[in-house]
Amino acid sequence: MKLVDPTVTSSQVNNRRAPALTTLQGKTIGLLSNRKLNADLLLQETAACLIRRHGGRALSMAHKANPSAPAPADKLTDLSPECDYLLTATGD
Amino acid sequence: MTQMSARQTATLHDVPDDLLAAIDYCFEQGWTDGLPVVPPELSRVEAMCAMEGRPPETVLAHHPATGLELTVHALGVNAVMAGCLPEYFPVLVAAFEAMDHERFNFHGSTASTGGSAPLLIVSGSLVDEIGMNAGVNLFGPGNRANATIGRAVRLTLMNVFRMTPGISDKSTQGNPGKYSFCIAERADCNPWASLAEEQGYPDGVSSVTVFAGAGFCNVENHGGNSPEAVLDSMADAMANYGCISLGQSVVVLAPEHVNIVARDGWSKAEVQTYLFEKAQRPVDGMKRVGKFVEGEYKKQGQLEMHRGLSPSDIAITVGGGDAGGHSAFIPSWSRSRGSIMQHQPIGVCIDC
Repeated sequence: MKLVDPTVTSSQVNNRRAPALTTLQGKTIGLLSNRKLNADLLLQETAACLIRRHGGRALSMAHKANPSAPAPADKLTDLSPECDYLLTATGD
Repeated sequence: MTQMSARQTATLHDVPDDLLAAIDYCFEQGWTDGLPVVPPELSRVEAMCAMEGRPPETVLAHHPATGLELTVHALGVNAVMAGCLPEYFPVLVAAFEAMDHERFNFHGSTASTGGSAPLLIVSGSLVDEIGMNAGVNLFGPGNRANATIGRAVRLTLMNVFRMTPGISDKSTQGNPGKYSFCIAERADCNPWASLAEEQGYPDGVSSVTVFAGAGFCNVENHGGNSPEAVLDSMADAMANYGCISLGQSVVVLAPEHVNIVARDGWSKAEVQTYLFEKAQRPVDGMKRVGKFVEGEYKKQGQLEMHRGLSPSDIAITVGGGDAGGHSAFIPSWSRSRGSIMQHQPIGVCIDC
């Protein structure tokens, strides 16, 4: 008998990894909080630690409107040209 | 294996004509929810999909985080595996179209530690037409339509949207409703408008309501013989510190309870208002248990912390057997308003 596979692979999805940074020295850090308890604190402390070690600066904290929904595409496209890498966190 | 032509490519698996071996094969492929499935044999899938008027490649729902899409065809495969009869298929189509509404927050409610499961409530004449159970043992077990429609939702979430327990589904403790969570509204002892009527659908149109439900709370009261007594029991369950939040609620009143409430002439709106007023906790108590959130308190604008934002956040329906003072409260997923319940007409397109 022929069974139909219940799983799908979507040709619409084309996710791939961004090229890895060769150094963090002097880079600009984007911060995207999910608004959960402690998320901002976690991101701030992590960014401060990275800046102490590698220099650079952090952008002002950006926030998702809803912690459990994906970040809106325009939020990511706004952040993308402004920073070299982005930290996000699920605080709780 | 061969490939089928569709927007989302489906694969055919050639297996021996041995049903028991085919069941084992489904386990080996990781296609099940832990229970045996009906092997998704091609002709059964085609019969299932034939119940939908649109082409098999029609996209019914999208996963907002991964971009994965659910087609009529993929839903048909999982419906067969769940044990659905073809006449149940329109309910599933409508349920996923409802879950695709942005405010349902498809991603969060299926991935969260909160462990919600989509509760489906079918309302209207379709309940009897496809043999759903709105009476005794409402939440199961025992009825094929209720059980398999709910199960098909879970299999679809796992197989199509990849909500894999422990990987993308991070529910802390899970939820029995994640196996199946589908009920029907009981019409013969409902003194109020049905959910489908309240939702504004034309006469004869049935609907499915989807709600990201965090679990199931049995509300027992056999001694109370007034609307206030019955509803105070319900309100107390709704306000327990373990689940009070700004979220919405589903209240399923059993026939005994709804009879007590309605014989004194209470409307559904009055019941909603009463429950909203009574389902509350003091600010000091919320602070004491560590659940007070200033922003949510301000958002609500009440003196105490109530469940939900307004009486209309409490959906009330009727169901269960004739005997027993047992109603049900289904709390919402999440600490706030991460998912808002949605509804969809079944088998018709109102705006087309």
